[in-house]
Formats: sequence, C-alpha cells, structure tokens
Amino acid sequence: MNNVKIKSKNLNVYYGEKQALFNVNLDLNEKEVTALIGPSGCGKSTFIRCINRMNDVIDICKVSGNIEIDGVEINDKNLDVVSLRERVGMVFQKPNPFPKSIYDNISYGPKIHGKGETKSELDEIVENSLKKAALWEEVKDRLDEPGTGLSGGQQQRLCIARAISVNPEVILMDEPCSALDPIATAKIEELIDELKKTYTIVIVTHSMAQAVRVSQKTGFFHLGKLIEVGKTEKIFKNPDNKMTQDYITGRFG
Amino acid sequence: MSNEHTVKSYEEELRYLIDSVIKMGSLTESQLVDSMDAVIKVDKDSIDKIIKSDDEINKFRSKIDTQIMTLLVKRAPMAIDLRETISSLKISQDLERIGDLSKSNAKKVKPLPLDLPEELLGNLKRLGDLVIKQLNDVLDSYVNKNYDKAKEVWEKDEQVDDLTYIAMESVIDFLSKDKKNLDFSTHLIFATKNLERAGDHITNIAESICYLIKGEYLKGSRPKGKVIQQ
Repeated sequence: MNNVKIKSKNLNVYYGEKQALFNVNLDLNEKEVTALIGPSGCGKSTFIRCINRMNDVIDICKVSGNIEIDGVEINDKNLDVVSLRERVGMVFQKPNPFPKSIYDNISYGPKIHGKGETKSELDEIVENSLKKAALWEEVKDRLDEPGTGLSGGQQQRLCIARAISVNPEVILMDEPCSALDPIATAKIEELIDELKKTYTIVIVTHSMAQAVRVSQKTGFFHLGKLIEVGKTEKIFKNPDNKMTQDYITGRFG
Repeated sequence: MSNEHTVKSYEEELRYLIDSVIKMGSLTESQLVDSMDAVIKVDKDSIDKIIKSDDEINKFRSKIDTQIMTLLVKRAPMAIDLRETISSLKISQDLERIGDLSKSNAKKVKPLPLDLPEELLGNLKRLGDLVIKQLNDVLDSYVNKNYDKAKEVWEKDEQVDDLTYIAMESVIDFLSKDKKNLDFSTHLIFATKNLERAGDHITNIAESICYLIKGEYLKGSRPKGKVIQQ
C-alpha cells in the first residue's frame, strides 16, 4: 500500500445551518485512485472540494476539522490557496475549457503560476500536458483553434491537460465522465490509469462499474457520513456494511 | 437477501435464477436416488427413465447459463448479487456433473447379474445413501443460506471417502474370489468411483455456498479419507 498523501480528520462542513459532512476521517494514498461513491447529496463532492479549498468561494460554507496534504494542514488561514490549487488540480463533471485556443487553455495556468517564462518553455509544457492527457495526436495541428470546438471527450481531456499543465500532485475529478459517451469514457479511464503513476487521484462517480475499473480504494458516503472505506475489490465483492451493500446492489429505498 | 431491489424486475430475475438452481438440485437429487436404487436392486427397467432425466438436468443447466448471462449483461451485479450469480453458475455446473455420474451409474446396471452378494451391495448402498444425504443437506443449506450446514457437508466428505474405500475393498475381494467376476466387478468399481466423485462435486457446491454467504472461501484443505490418500 502506498503512503498516505491526503488525510482528513474529523472533517465537518456546514452550508449555513445545514451540515453537509460529519466527522469524516479518510486517508487517500499517494499515486492511487480513490473513488468516492454515494447517492446525490451525500457529501462526496463537498469532500473533494475541501481538498483544494473550493468551498472557500461559498460564503455560507464553514469547514472544521483537518485536511492534511503530506502532513501539512491546508485549512490554515495563512496558506496560499493559489499555490494549493496549483498542487491540487480539479476536473469537473461538464468539460469547461476556457473560451480560448487549445494552446491558451493549457498555457494559461503555467503562465499565472510563473512557470514557462519563454515561448519555447510554454510550447514544451503544452505539448507534454497534451501528450499526458492523450490528446496531442488529435490536436497538434490545430493548437490555435478554440478549445470549445473539440468534442465533449476531447474537451474533457483538454481540461485534464489543463489541470496537469501546472504539474500538480493531486487531481480531483468530480464525475468526469458523466457527460461523455462510452468511447470517450473509456479514453478518460485509460488516461486515469496512466495518470495514477504520477498523481494522486480522487474521483467522484455515480458509476459503480467505473469505480471498480479505475480505483484501488473506494469510500461510500451517505447523508454526509463516510460509511465505509476499503479496497475497491472488497467493497464491491463483499462490503462489511449493510448500507454499502444495499447501495451498490441497488436496494436503496 | 435483505431489502428488495429498487428495480423490481432485477429482484425477480435473481429470484428466478435461485429457483432454477433449487429445481435443478431437486431433479439431480431424484436422479441420484433413482440411479442408486437401480444399482442396488439391479433394476434394468428403470435405466431409460434415468438416462432421460439427465436430459432434463442438462436443459436446466443451459437455462441457468442464459439467465446468468442476461443478469450479467443487464444488471452488472455487485456484492451479494454478484456472489449469488457466480455461485449459481458454479453450483449448476457441479449439479450437471452429478447428473452425468448418476446416468453413468444407471448404464452400469445393464451387465450386472441379479445375484450379487448382499455384503457387496450393502457397502455400495451405505456409500450411496451417504452421498444422497450429502446432496440433500447441501441443497438444504443453499435454500436456507445456512453457512454452518454447508461447512458440515464439506467436512463430512471424509466419510464418503472412507465408505468408498470399504466399498472398493469388497468389490476387489469379490473379484479376487473368481476371475469370472471381472466384467461386472469393473462396472461396480466404476460405479463406486462415480459416487465418490459425486461426493467431490457436492463439496464443491458446499464451498460455493460458503463463499456466497460470507464472501470468503473456506480456508485450508478439506479433511480427506482413506481412498484419496492411497
């Protein structure tokens, strides 16, 4: 088993009066894929948004407890959130490329983070990122065309390329394939398999089959609580908790 | 199973699969009883009926295969449902093999003389009765999802081995008395061996049931009796 990269301890999240997460204790291993599953509104997206402090942008959201990355508390008020998000990239449900060229979509992040000062350095970052996202061959001759002109699956890989362009350590994926067809989904899953050699990946998914295919560890959330976490194979073959079993077998009332 | 599936047809399909396995099991048990009866009574009239019943068992096996394929494609079962589906596949395979062995035993009745020594048949009957009981118990444990009972069957196969040994010894003893007995003694040896193999399939079923219930395979190797060790 790999080292723990991210550690949440007694994590509680509130949206105003409503508590969204209850004492979540979850360890995410380095260079592994952890899948988070559970019914809508169970807190899995809220949880991953804590890892790069995306919840900061919601005024009524309050977070208590700890999240450590490499042993360093990220909820520290003095922590530079921009540099945190450089280390923790995110890919969303709906592909959301900037309304810019394919090239600019990738080079934007490195530029604002002060990476790639010369054109040739940026060219290299763009090429490497697109190659890592398995998109280079499809777009190398049209880098100046708008990113929004790509197919849905290509756009999502562009977003992954954008996330990895700043050389993060963690990639958060919030239902990255829910808007994609099976072939585009397969390409993203293949990519996740490759990316896990370099990055720690957390994926929220509603597809049990996808969780089984891509992850090594799975956590099941329900009503803001982490009900069970364990090796993916164990969770889907023989979970310990009845609630997990009811959910993954479709017996949830 | 605990709660019902949100999708009712999924619930029905799983129930239907389990019912098919139970029906196949019951048919296999009847066939084993009939074939044992035919051997002990040297009842040549019942051979055809027993052979025919094997076709029914084979049809069940095909039906169960189709049901499983449909379930896998349609539902992608997980956890207990996955184990239920996979166990059904394995159990039906073992039941089919038991059916084949019963049919094989029925066919062996044809060349047997009507005046076989009582002791010889007695030893074979004791073995047959135990195998039938084992099958009955294992099917019972499947119906009631009874882990302890399935494990008990698994452990009891040692006794099947021991009775096989005794039955074999008496056939060999009978054969050694007169070389003229060679032909039908060979059939009796095969019939005895078939019963022992049926016992092995029953232990496989017991293992599948234990895995189905707890999600873990039985640890260690099962206790073995005399025949296996020789």
